[in-house]
Amino acid sequence: MREVSWVPLGRVRFGKALELQRRLHHLRRYGKVPDLVLSLEHDPVITLGRSADPRHILGDPAALVASGVEVVEVERGGDVSYHGPGQLVLYPILDLRGFERSIKWYIWALEEVMLRVVASYGIRAGRLPGRPGIWVGKGKLGAVGVYVRSWVTMHGLALNVSPQLDHFRWIVPCGIHGAEVTSIAALLGREVPLEEVDERARDAFAHVFGVRVAPTDVEVVTE
Amino acid sequence: MVIRKEVALADIVVPPLGEVEEVRVVRWLHEVGDEVQAGEAVAEVESQKATFVIEAPVAGKLFAILVPEGRAAAPGEVIGKILEREGER
Repeated sequence: MREVSWVPLGRVRFGKALELQRRLHHLRRYGKVPDLVLSLEHDPVITLGRSADPRHILGDPAALVASGVEVVEVERGGDVSYHGPGQLVLYPILDLRGFERSIKWYIWALEEVMLRVVASYGIRAGRLPGRPGIWVGKGKLGAVGVYVRSWVTMHGLALNVSPQLDHFRWIVPCGIHGAEVTSIAALLGREVPLEEVDERARDAFAHVFGVRVAPTDVEVVTE
Repeated sequence: MVIRKEVALADIVVPPLGEVEEVRVVRWLHEVGDEVQAGEAVAEVESQKATFVIEAPVAGKLFAILVPEGRAAAPGEVIGKILEREGER
């Protein structure tokens, strides 16, 4: 069975993780590193995807930056996103030629990983046609946004475990006015440790992608 | 005396992306006239929440942009042309 390295990074500033992702993505394209998944959470950051409308940042950008929120343009598809503590972020760096050469399948698979994780907590989430991500009613529980070059992926998914939901008021999530945001903690009415969700995400990823997942130190992957 | 050499135009094509019917060209990374290397990123297309990079099929000069930024294209469609560098084939 194919193996995918699962690399826990803990809490990382967005810029630092992005640099690491770009380096690993490059190395993966040349076969210098194996398929891997970076698992982490970010300090508060607003990111603008390739189709981002800057008007979808609602807070005063200067005030946001002054309060320590990064604002970063990125190469992934999609509009404006917020990431912050309490969100499980997975950045799979995979050569899709070893899985399915299909963007649609890949987005589906990332959603499926999140759906399985939340189902393990008894949460029934679903997909909305034309609106990638996973949803509970009108509330977005998890987001996807990917970048693919030579069939090698970067960026990935963000699952709301227990983020501060009021931080999402800084943006129009995914550019959809009136979209609400929810979290596992909000739906269950209790705190859920990120480590536990990471473990379940590992199992779900292994199942959906049909791989064995091997926890690996970042130094081992990059050396 | 001028010796005319054959020139070849290579197509920049949106590859099959797997059940994706339409993409949007979000960015051209070069202007017409720029030199590009084979395998170099020349354009980015987007479908839903995915950005997909289109690479130059051959080395040469970006000769034409047929589908500009912001416009839709289908997998298999030619979105640009590269004037192949001599002796590259």
